Amino acid sequence: MTDYAQLLENCAGGDRASLRTVMDAEGGRMLGVALRMLRRRDLAEDAVQESFVTIWRKAHQYDRNRGAAKAWIYTILRNRCLTMLRQDTREIATESDVLEMRQDSDILSETWERLGEGGDLQRCLERLDAKKRAAVLMAYVLGYTHGEISGRVGAPLGSVKSWLRRGLAQLRECLS
Amino acid sequence: MTGNERPLEERIDEVVIGLADEAECARIERMAAEDITVARMLDQARKRFGELDDTARPEALPDDMWARISGRLETVEPEPAIVRDPDVVPFRRPDNAPRAMSWATIGSLAASVVLAIALAWTLFSQKDPAVIAVLINDAGEPVAVVEGSVDNTTLITLLGPTTVPEGRIMQVWTKPDEDGPPVSLGVLSRPTSTRLEVENLPAPSANQLYEITFEQAGGSPTGLPTGPIHGKGLAQQPL
Repeated sequence: MTDYAQLLENCAGGDRASLRTVMDAEGGRMLGVALRMLRRRDLAEDAVQESFVTIWRKAHQYDRNRGAAKAWIYTILRNRCLTMLRQDTREIATESDVLEMRQDSDILSETWERLGEGGDLQRCLERLDAKKRAAVLMAYVLGYTHGEISGRVGAPLGSVKSWLRRGLAQLRECLS
Repeated sequence: MTGNERPLEERIDEVVIGLADEAECARIERMAAEDITVARMLDQARKRFGELDDTARPEALPDDMWARISGRLETVEPEPAIVRDPDVVPFRRPDNAPRAMSWATIGSLAASVVLAIALAWTLFSQKDPAVIAVLINDAGEPVAVVEGSVDNTTLITLLGPTTVPEGRIMQVWTKPDEDGPPVSLGVLSRPTSTRLEVENLPAPSANQLYEITFEQAGGSPTGLPTGPIHGKGLAQQPL
């Protein structure tokens, strides 16, 4: 199993080969995560590229006593994607990019399928009402805000906030 | 989304699933930097939801991706500051590691020397700093003057020749929050007077601690001061 913590520590010491190893191991998956959120390949590639630059720049801040290296890496990627989304890059898609657009429901169905049975998160998500589960997945997987979820499911903002708050509380209880 | 009265677990979940605004993310990151319990709660939440990242179908990276990344590394400097960027938890050394310095010894500085230099400095200073600190070494000698402006531009003027240990650089720190961790203002790659700029810090105030340490090239590896102290002092407002 890849020792990402060691690779990040090597990066902090200036070892580019270690950064390359992280890219070879996780870059494809990271591009998949970015594509689900940003929906455009060019933007998703930019997000992955910039994430690796940030990983390099911040590698010396990583401390294995405080968290898992893989989670640290994906947090950098997700924050990058969220920042791009909040800058409304999603709204500037051109016509040809629409071809790459996939329906929210397709992405969420595939996520659910691939989550597989037996995992803790899957088991606990399954216990949630469908609307709470969808709201949690739309936020995490698609990067939607409360307002965007409200608009897409056609429910009042207050209801969506309540579903998410209660859904997250139920998940914590189930996962603890 | 400032509801600090809400359960911490809920706030952490919202940060992790991407529903918290930037300010709230920064607050939680700051808490995690200061409290390992919070850091571990945050890590747990990230790992739990991380299973969803694993469901993403891997996509082929473009052939030139490594060239694009490595091309950018040429121009990227390692970032020594820890708290100004909400991208990741700014990590500290383990809580049981020895502290490199005692922040409490500052009270023993020669106050009259400090005040005299600060007053004289004000008369000749061209810009209007919000605070001035005279940094004193262990021998009680003034080694640098720090002028902090409200926009967090910091002018460091070294007093007299400064001997930097082989392979080290000088890094400048401050404690905007008396009870919080020290924050890097930047590094002096050469032992000359330098102007440093840093974002997202509150304007400096009286009695704020400033310090210069000798760190490895590129800055402290932990994001906190680790090397020997060149000098330190508390800021005063110019009269």
